[in-house]
Amino acid sequence: MSRSYLACSHEDVPALSLDELESQLRPVFLAALTGDEAAYRLFLDTISVRLRGYLRRMLTRAGRSEASEVEDVLQEVLLALHLSQHTYDPASPVTAWAHAIARYKLVDHLRRTSRHAGNQPLDDQAYHLAGPADSAASEARLDLERAMAALPERTRGLIDRVKLQGTTVAEAARASGMTETAAKVAIHRGLQAMARFFSRRGERPG
Amino acid sequence: MQTDDLISLMTAGHRPVDTGWLRRVTWLCALAALAFTALLVLLVLGARRDLAVAWLTVPVIAKVLLGASVAGIALSLFQRSLRPGLRPRRFLPLVALPIVAVVGWAALTLLRAPVEQWGMLIFGSYWRACLIAIPLYALLPLAILFGLARRGAPVDGTLTGACAGLASAGLATIAYSLHCPDDTAPFLATWYTLAIAAVTAIGAVTFARLPRW
Repeated sequence: MSRSYLACSHEDVPALSLDELESQLRPVFLAALTGDEAAYRLFLDTISVRLRGYLRRMLTRAGRSEASEVEDVLQEVLLALHLSQHTYDPASPVTAWAHAIARYKLVDHLRRTSRHAGNQPLDDQAYHLAGPADSAASEARLDLERAMAALPERTRGLIDRVKLQGTTVAEAARASGMTETAAKVAIHRGLQAMARFFSRRGERPG
Repeated sequence: MQTDDLISLMTAGHRPVDTGWLRRVTWLCALAALAFTALLVLLVLGARRDLAVAWLTVPVIAKVLLGASVAGIALSLFQRSLRPGLRPRRFLPLVALPIVAVVGWAALTLLRAPVEQWGMLIFGSYWRACLIAIPLYALLPLAILFGLARRGAPVDGTLTGACAGLASAGLATIAYSLHCPDDTAPFLATWYTLAIAAVTAIGAVTFARLPRW
């Protein structure tokens, strides 16, 4: 019989293709949107590995290879994702949403920090490369704590408790003498202040 | 701060998210802007004298339909342009559909009229007023939509600005139809279209120059 021409050669795919990542991540993020904290944590952990790889590759291409700079931009992107969750269309791919935000913030970062930037070719393929955190390098260069200096003392204490001691919000709220809802609002304000700190950073040198 | 700490913090502050808010607020803002703009037109310019009988005639209905369809398409794209990853730019040509319909209607009207009347059909009595009033009355909706855009995440500033401009011009068209006494199709196709194009350009250029979010 005639040979089958239908057999096509499958290209070697990375550990997790974008489609696989999408089908894995979408239900997780949809659950997170309903308020599921564990799902949100899983989403952030997974997407940050992916985004770190993308940002590292793009920054290297722009001639920046400092790990702390990658971490700076990653944190800026994560804050943008967090504060823009309401812009996600549940019918659309969550990876495309996250990638578009990462790309926007990366362009922003390059424009702010370079005299002749803004026209670097941004390659979407690099999004396929994942990047686990180098334990020594996942500390960002910018000290976000400075951004929180303007917050009320009680809010700062609350954030330190959640961040450093890893207590749950409920416990941290009780220790700060707040309701859990008030604690969440306070944390939200803190994160907004950090995002503003990032976007204003370019206005003055250093 | 470690990225892991930041993630802990974001998880701790996490609350349920309403993804439909942006869409609802866009339509509500548009309706409010339309009401204000129409009120402004009535207060400042006044209604056309024959509005009581004219509002059911083809020309006025055509003006309202033109404005409503341009605004409707543009608002839907505007709202989507505030959501990263959707790439609504490819749907922008849809806005041309109502414009093409009006231009076609105008061409038919001109073909059926004697050439001596063309000037009157196109220029009407108040073409300058139309060209100034629509962009002017579009400023209020434009400001409202620009304000709303800050609550979203526009990654394509030119597109968001153009859609806001188109939508505002569409809303201003509806409002101005309460006053505009010129009723010919060629008038509508020329001056209304030009005014809409001008506001679109203003929106696109202005929004792209606003600070990034």
